[in-house]
Amino acid sequence: MSIQTQTRVLTCIQCGKCTGSCPEAGRTPFNIRMVVRRKQFQHHIEESIPWYCTSCGACTIRCPRDVKPSEMIIDVRSVMVEEGDIPATIQKALENTFVHRNPWGRSRAKRGAWFEKLDFEVPHVSETVSKRLLFTCCIQAYDPRCMVIPANIAKMLNKGGLEFGVLGEEEACCGNEIRRIGESGLFEELQEENVAAFKEYGIKEIITLSPHCMNTLKKEYGDLGINVSHYTEVLANMIKEGRLAPKTSYSKKVIYHDPCFLGKQNNIFDEPRDILKSIEGLELLEFSRARETSLCCEGGGGRMFYEAETAYQRNSEIRVLEAVEKGAEIMATSCPFCVMTLEDPATEKGLAVKDISEILMEVL
Amino acid sequence: MNLLVFTKRVPATQEEELRIVDEGRGVDLSKVPFKVNDWDNYAIEEAVRIVEKTGGTVTAISIGNAESDEVLRRAIAMGAKDGFLIETDQVLHDPGARASLILNFLKKEGITYDAIFTGVQSEDDQFASLGGILAARLGIPYASMVIAIDAFETDHVTARRELEGGLQERIKVMLPCVLSIQSGINEPRYVSIMGIRKASKVERKIFKGNDYEDNVIPGIEVVKWVYPDKKGGATMLDGELDGICKGLLGILKEKGVYQ
Repeated sequence: MSIQTQTRVLTCIQCGKCTGSCPEAGRTPFNIRMVVRRKQFQHHIEESIPWYCTSCGACTIRCPRDVKPSEMIIDVRSVMVEEGDIPATIQKALENTFVHRNPWGRSRAKRGAWFEKLDFEVPHVSETVSKRLLFTCCIQAYDPRCMVIPANIAKMLNKGGLEFGVLGEEEACCGNEIRRIGESGLFEELQEENVAAFKEYGIKEIITLSPHCMNTLKKEYGDLGINVSHYTEVLANMIKEGRLAPKTSYSKKVIYHDPCFLGKQNNIFDEPRDILKSIEGLELLEFSRARETSLCCEGGGGRMFYEAETAYQRNSEIRVLEAVEKGAEIMATSCPFCVMTLEDPATEKGLAVKDISEILMEVL
Repeated sequence: MNLLVFTKRVPATQEEELRIVDEGRGVDLSKVPFKVNDWDNYAIEEAVRIVEKTGGTVTAISIGNAESDEVLRRAIAMGAKDGFLIETDQVLHDPGARASLILNFLKKEGITYDAIFTGVQSEDDQFASLGGILAARLGIPYASMVIAIDAFETDHVTARRELEGGLQERIKVMLPCVLSIQSGINEPRYVSIMGIRKASKVERKIFKGNDYEDNVIPGIEVVKWVYPDKKGGATMLDGELDGICKGLLGILKEKGVYQ
């Protein structure tokens, strides 16, 4: 009952607004209104169903009765986690995170591999005056496609004269996806480990590269007295202050995809657009579903580690088709999960997917 | 059924670049994370599934330092009733010596069992022979590479062994016996952190390893850690991306991979 009180499922009036806003509704067997109904009556929920949820948060944001269906899904998953009966790929991601502190099971010693290739020294955060931490995120520390993102942003912060440091191998996964998979115990361990490092080195500010890390560090780590921001906020501000100035023209049509954890969940819509608008020659296009109504790429909430059993047209493909129809030459975003999910269908259509930092890097 | 399962805490080395230190006398594991030996995880799961059907208990046993307690907690979280730690700081590489230590322990403590499960091998030492040597010392039957257990009766077990060429052989093994369990025999359940925390409340028994050291004489000792000999055959392409791509295409064409 306490769980129902927290997620307020008993107050649900079954209006269906959640299903109406869910990126999985209609195409997959996932019907969030039905899942809430079954939870209200404590009826059995078929075991594959909760894993379709992308944790985009649209249902919770739009509910007129303040029910939290996306949080309820976490509760449903957590029961499965405690019973040990979860999809094998999700299990692997959790076990990897338990042992190696990242879902990919890569060596912790190599977490700093991306900054070793820079032509300037990135200090450990303890050696900085500002105690400003650049929080890398697992996927950007290890995935060859995404490793360029932290390197680019480090170069830009350096160029703009903003002091920062890193934790290197001491950084553990933020746990945003781990909590959403339903492994609250592991989330607590990661949180405690990261918080201990933040406290040990007197961190005052954290710049996150992934909206997922930003979300959990800002909203789920408790009040640490640390200012947490996303890199787009920092770069937009640096451009505004004239510390960074795009120099060359970029005559391309760019369409911007709002990541759920940056946009609808944390209301950061303008800063990424401000960065793109500051670039001469760049024509900014918008999706029909932009900002608060942005269509989720399906990379969140553990979906990066789970392949749905049902074959259906993926949202990333829908996004790419619209981008092509609108005449975009480049699809820009500001989240590594979005980059990864959008890139496959985009490559098929000859459309480039770039993180905003990649575009900005080209014009500085 | 009373099943004993041996479980080992091993370094997770797959992704690590291991460094030999002290002029070959050791390997630097100071920054390497540890985990349960993969094969033992399957063995625990299989044992738990058997007693869930037949009744009885699973006892997880680990030989190692105090930190090996974590694999016992894990086993209890999976469904083992007890966890025994034979605590020793001595590194017993020789599976013969390990088998002797286990033999002494079982006899001295009067531990009874219907079957003993080990993993096929441990990820660190990879001798893959503890189960066989232990069975020989105990004078009981042994089956290796067990990929399925079809029936667990009061006096025998019907199991399948994995063979080369995609074959399996069905065998009947009289109890008590030792089985070494192959990975893939089941899908081990996920063990949550909450589950491990709950398991921590179950008392694990600690036995001092040096109480069982009679005739534990290693016949094998590590003389030196060495890196494998470097072999040729790899070509590193460097320079600008265009040049690397052209170089790679040239090699692929030359080798007939790309026309």
